[in-house]
Amino acid sequence: MTAIIAAIANLKGGVGKSTTTVMLADGLSYFYGLNVCVVDLDAQANSSQMLLTERGVQMAYEQGKGATHLLSSFIKGEPANVADFIMPNAVSLEELRIAEENDDRLGWISSLPSHPHLRLQEMGLEETWYSQAGTPTSLANKLAEHFKTGFDVLREYYDIILFDCPPHLSPLARAGLSLSDVFVMPTIADAVSTWGTKQFSDWVGANVAPDLPSRNFVLITRFRNTGYSKQIANELQEVYLKDRWFGPKIPESVHVLNAMERAAPDSYDTFRGKYGGVKGDVKRLSERFTDFLSQQRAGRKWQKMRD
Amino acid sequence: MAENERLDAVAYLDRFFDELRDEVRTNPKFANRLVKAMGGKVVFEDSTKTDIANPYLLAAEGNKSEFYTVFSPLKTTQLKKILKDNNLATSVDIRGKSPSQLLDMLYDRASLKVSERKSSYF
Ligand SMILES: Nc1ncnc2c1ncn2[C@@H]1O[C@H](COP(=O)(O)OP(=O)(O)OP(=O)(O)O)[C@@H](O)[C@H]1O
Ligand SMILES: [Mg+2]
Repeated sequence: MTAIIAAIANLKGGVGKSTTTVMLADGLSYFYGLNVCVVDLDAQANSSQMLLTERGVQMAYEQGKGATHLLSSFIKGEPANVADFIMPNAVSLEELRIAEENDDRLGWISSLPSHPHLRLQEMGLEETWYSQAGTPTSLANKLAEHFKTGFDVLREYYDIILFDCPPHLSPLARAGLSLSDVFVMPTIADAVSTWGTKQFSDWVGANVAPDLPSRNFVLITRFRNTGYSKQIANELQEVYLKDRWFGPKIPESVHVLNAMERAAPDSYDTFRGKYGGVKGDVKRLSERFTDFLSQQRAGRKWQKMRD
Repeated sequence: MAENERLDAVAYLDRFFDELRDEVRTNPKFANRLVKAMGGKVVFEDSTKTDIANPYLLAAEGNKSEFYTVFSPLKTTQLKKILKDNNLATSVDIRGKSPSQLLDMLYDRASLKVSERKSSYF
């Protein structure tokens, strides 16, 4: 395996980055049997919470797992053995659990969770860095350099690594973006978010890699079927972000909210039970995303394992 | 009520309480809120309990035996409904569980969520 790294990112908050991250993790592991690692770079720790529950996030932190401890390795100048900070089981789908129990693992999710403490830790690091004449860019570069070896090792164990990024350009988010092969930009079909997509992808092109915007997968989330939203979605696709890959529009739905609240750290559900009325949307999202990946990485096959 | 209809005070109150009585009779959630607001302790029938008993509120009170007193008379199907309606369990989680296992699950998971989500201040 040589994992593809995908950052799920947008400067705009609340557009569905974390929800998209979890839907992709579930969809790719379930339908394509992929081994997925979700890396949460956001101190809000929302995708970690969705995967592991609040208690799970806290337990991981106390067990020395997650992004905070990975960042500590950088601060202490220790090598970034990323695998040491991973929670091996972040699966909530019953079908995956049963297959694993029968020694027939077919699709799996692991997590490198975040924790609210991450923000304080990053701020401490920034304070020290800037007091020694460092800049935000040099910090992001140094972090990327430090984590690159660790993630290169990790690539051998997974098919896909998803970075859930915060809604601001934190040092870790910048490092994450520069380690990414592709980036997914969730957005909402409204005026403020639309302008934000231009701002963010221009910034990515200018500061991370000039060709990264061409490796972009756009997803319109929380879509309401109104004339206004349809018009904005159409403009995004036909004008503003023309020639990019678009996923299926994900409807605004209470099924999504339900799916994102795991009942307990040891709670499991079938794919059908978890996603209810939006299961078709998650399926189309994974299909479209693997099409996008095939184009990005020629020769790589993505085969459906479940339907 | 016609806009210019005139009522004396007693007729006015009668109408008000008639409406209130009807609402309390047909809307157990409202009845429960009303009783709570007045500080009373009122017993609800089993059939309405599933609609009003809120495991989070009860777990937050921290009285385990009170929690069990309220929920233990419930039938398996009622317990399952409460677990699912409150996002405390999936169909997979509750499959084949006995009433006492369901009750423990309800208490443990509701308490866990409350302890993780409740602010430490005020
Ligand atoms: N399709 C949807 N239908 C309904 N609610 C949704 C949907 N997608 C996301 N939400 C809700 O919208 C809110 C924001 O979603 P989410 O946390 O995924 O966004 P985000 O971009 O990761 O936010 P942040 O910028 O804070 O990291 C959450 O309350 C989430 O549950
Ligand atoms: Mg988020």
